[in-house]
Amino acid sequence: MEKFILPEIKDHHQIDVYEQHGGYAALKKAVQMKPDEVIDEVKKSGLRGRGGACFPTGLKWSFMPKGNDKPKYLAVNGDESEPGTFKDRQIFEFNPHLLIEGIIIGCYAMGINAAYIYIRGEYGKWISMVDKALADAYAKGYIGINILGTGFSTNIYTHQGAGAYICGEESALMNSVEGERGYPRIKPPFPAQRGLWGAPTTINNVETMSNIPLIINKGAEWYSKIGVAKHPGPILVGISGHVNNPGVYEIPTGVPLLTLINDPQYGGGVPGGKSIKAVIPGGSSTMILRGENLEGVNMDADSLKAAGSSVGTAGIMVMDEDTDLVRVLARIAHFYHHESCGQCTPCREGTGWLEKMLHRFEHYEARKEDVDMLVNVANQIEGNTVCALGDAAAWPVQSFVKRFREEFEKRVKEKEEINAA
Amino acid sequence: MPNVKITLDGAQYEVDNKKTILEAARDNKIHIPHFCYHDKLSASGNCRICLVEVEKMPKLAISCMTQVAEGMIINTKNERVINAREAVMEFILINHPLDCPICDEAGECKLQDYAYKYSKGFSRFVDTKNHKEKRVEIGPRVMFDAERCISCSRCIRFCDEIAGVHQLQFVNRGDRVTIQTFPGESLDNPYSMNVVDICPVGALTNKDFRFKSRVWEMSFTDSVCHGCARGCNIEIGVRNNEILRLNPRRNDDVNSAWMCDHGRLNTWKNVNAENRIKSSKIRKEGQLVEVGWDEAIAKAASELKSFGKNEIAVLGSAFATNEDNYVFAKFAREVLGTRNIDFCPHVEGTDDAVLIRADKTPNASGAELVGIVPQENGMDFQQIISAIKAGKIKALYCLEDDIASVPGIEDALSNLEFFAVHATNHSKTTQYAHVVFAASTYAEKNGTVTNFQKRVQRVRPAVTTFEQDRALDNFEMSRWDKFAAHNDKWGKGPRRDARPSWKIITSIAGVMGTKYKFNNADDVFNEICQKIDGFKGLSYLKVGVKGAVVKQNHVAV
Repeated sequence: MEKFILPEIKDHHQIDVYEQHGGYAALKKAVQMKPDEVIDEVKKSGLRGRGGACFPTGLKWSFMPKGNDKPKYLAVNGDESEPGTFKDRQIFEFNPHLLIEGIIIGCYAMGINAAYIYIRGEYGKWISMVDKALADAYAKGYIGINILGTGFSTNIYTHQGAGAYICGEESALMNSVEGERGYPRIKPPFPAQRGLWGAPTTINNVETMSNIPLIINKGAEWYSKIGVAKHPGPILVGISGHVNNPGVYEIPTGVPLLTLINDPQYGGGVPGGKSIKAVIPGGSSTMILRGENLEGVNMDADSLKAAGSSVGTAGIMVMDEDTDLVRVLARIAHFYHHESCGQCTPCREGTGWLEKMLHRFEHYEARKEDVDMLVNVANQIEGNTVCALGDAAAWPVQSFVKRFREEFEKRVKEKEEINAA
Repeated sequence: MPNVKITLDGAQYEVDNKKTILEAARDNKIHIPHFCYHDKLSASGNCRICLVEVEKMPKLAISCMTQVAEGMIINTKNERVINAREAVMEFILINHPLDCPICDEAGECKLQDYAYKYSKGFSRFVDTKNHKEKRVEIGPRVMFDAERCISCSRCIRFCDEIAGVHQLQFVNRGDRVTIQTFPGESLDNPYSMNVVDICPVGALTNKDFRFKSRVWEMSFTDSVCHGCARGCNIEIGVRNNEILRLNPRRNDDVNSAWMCDHGRLNTWKNVNAENRIKSSKIRKEGQLVEVGWDEAIAKAASELKSFGKNEIAVLGSAFATNEDNYVFAKFAREVLGTRNIDFCPHVEGTDDAVLIRADKTPNASGAELVGIVPQENGMDFQQIISAIKAGKIKALYCLEDDIASVPGIEDALSNLEFFAVHATNHSKTTQYAHVVFAASTYAEKNGTVTNFQKRVQRVRPAVTTFEQDRALDNFEMSRWDKFAAHNDKWGKGPRRDARPSWKIITSIAGVMGTKYKFNNADDVFNEICQKIDGFKGLSYLKVGVKGAVVKQNHVAV
């Protein structure tokens, strides 16, 4: 398949090369359209957000109030902190102008004059690369005052995160941009009503924005035919874990998971020819799948939903037959405990409790009743928190125990045996 | 205000559409538990114990931030809600030290109360609890125990929104979250101790009060702070006949739910102090000597008689009650016949934007209203002082006020031939007095004071004197007051032979030949209400616990 987001063109990150290959043509086309026509085009394309929730992008844009009587903002989420996810980094490095072009079009469509690209602080090198690309785009008049002589003006800034996972949560991200503590906000009000500095704000993922120029260039009709109908378009998947070729791959949605793991052009199979014990398909918070249940599961929202998981950020983590899943879950629980912001009770206290219990499982110190208690504590967190971090911490626990209960029971039994011995 | 119809736990209610579920429920006597919500602060929605079920909403909703809407069907106590509530309680308690037996908050702790009401009564937590800093001096007047903290953010919001200074902030993440001030700074705003009151647990404690008493050993009496002309409504906490602390009492027209640290700490220590005047005194051979009431009263009466009307001046007091000042003014006019009536003002600095007033007395407006004003051709305060210096005023009778501490006054006092004072404590002023009457403090008597808004507010006795009895005189009683055995040390706290000023003046008037029929403070107040225009229609009952505003020919209750 032709690559659109990460085309295999040398030095495509340079603005001249980008322009030679049709770069900024979409912007030129978009500014000839009415803003609402741009939003309609995005709606018709069927593009769904690539940040994890798969929310229809055009619909999200249509929530923004019309008119220019008060400031509106766009925040582009490049925090990319979900374990197993490393796709936005490829865009920053290899195709930053595609992202920038998408952002300018988005700003034009929603009547926004300032956009922030929020990039995790650990991505120092890539922040510089984006800054360079922005400077070049400013120099060419694609950003700034009176873009391409249209009278439309917008500025784009990078904003560096300081190391907190929670700042990838859209409302905590806004607090972070404002210089406040990265605490998620209570919703409602939603960002389109009250976002950055109290003004209407849209937050989109980096990869989502990088799809916009394609839609404008080639039309919604063309775009909607890529991949599966209900979740169309090219999608970046990050394959990691026990595969021969870990990396980021651009695919049309709907490619079978097993193809992605085993096909030589993607993951290239499990090292040593071992069997697959488990796969986490969309970043660490998505529900784990058993290796033997992967047949017929495809990389798109609906297929993964039917399989009892979700596409998330498309960070596929493959675990072979020798993987200690209890240890994996303990590590995941450590992450969410470490990253819980501490604002609301169930997540603040629950994530720590989960980690402590899983530490006991890991060290064969769990009690029989702890298996069910683990799930119960996760259930007590899920749905009762300010933001989705609580859910993100609960889902792995729920799904690991549900689908691999024997691994947890074994840790109890072995302890009993140790005691007996 | 447009109303909407909602269903709460199966019953229909019509409520204001601007209210949240929690407020609408509260207004209809349905209590939804809450830690972080405080009706005087912005909502933060973080404790999650107020979760309720709203039909058609997939998740439970926080009632503190969910606005009511037409047709909403809300359940505050079905199984799903109770499970979520018990879950929150369990979560809060897993890392809580559960040190109620040594915690000052015990007995008035929201977490403790809710643990009884809303938790399962046991914990499944078997792992090691997190440890955090303890005994942190977060401010000069407040101690912080991070392990007890449940991160509700009330204290942070109080500083930001009420005190108007950003002094507290969360630091760290997750279950390591704690509260800190910025490096080198401390929680030292003039209202800092209110965070102790609103802290739903024992994380923030009052440095002055901590470890002094279990709260159930204390009685709490409604009163009014005497720190300035605001007259913040307070509760006086007493154990063993000694005041141990003051707390603000809510009155939205006066002090909202707050009081300043100065009022809380510095307006009652004199009641328990060593330098209390425990009985009346007469100066004999240069020394103040304890004497009985009759002797002191007779001495004052005979001395006062020996001066001409124009040689006498009286100073009422902005620290004394309306009742004291009224009887005093009446006595000065009718018995002494002097026109030289005034009181000493105590104004320092300026009013602040929250509560603190420049007038540092509780009853300047009341004293004026009940007649502590120069009579026709009479002298005012400064003129009286000048006249004493000039030898024209030879006798001065002064109510509860340490006037000698005001610059420039002390010199004048040594010029007096006779100086009678009512005082609660030994002071510079009593050093010049010939007769000192042991006056009851505001915490030992009934009466009213009138604040800067001309709001008449009640003070009530919280501490007994010789002439009172806790049970017979209807004092607020603690458990110990009611149930301690006679051989307990209980009830044996210090008592003083002090009387309210109005009563002392009534006695002197009697000896001087004028009988006033004032047997208790109510009698005085009733006469004030008959004689003084603004007070007409008032009574102690109408003043009640929240006070009533005096207006010219009009009383708003």
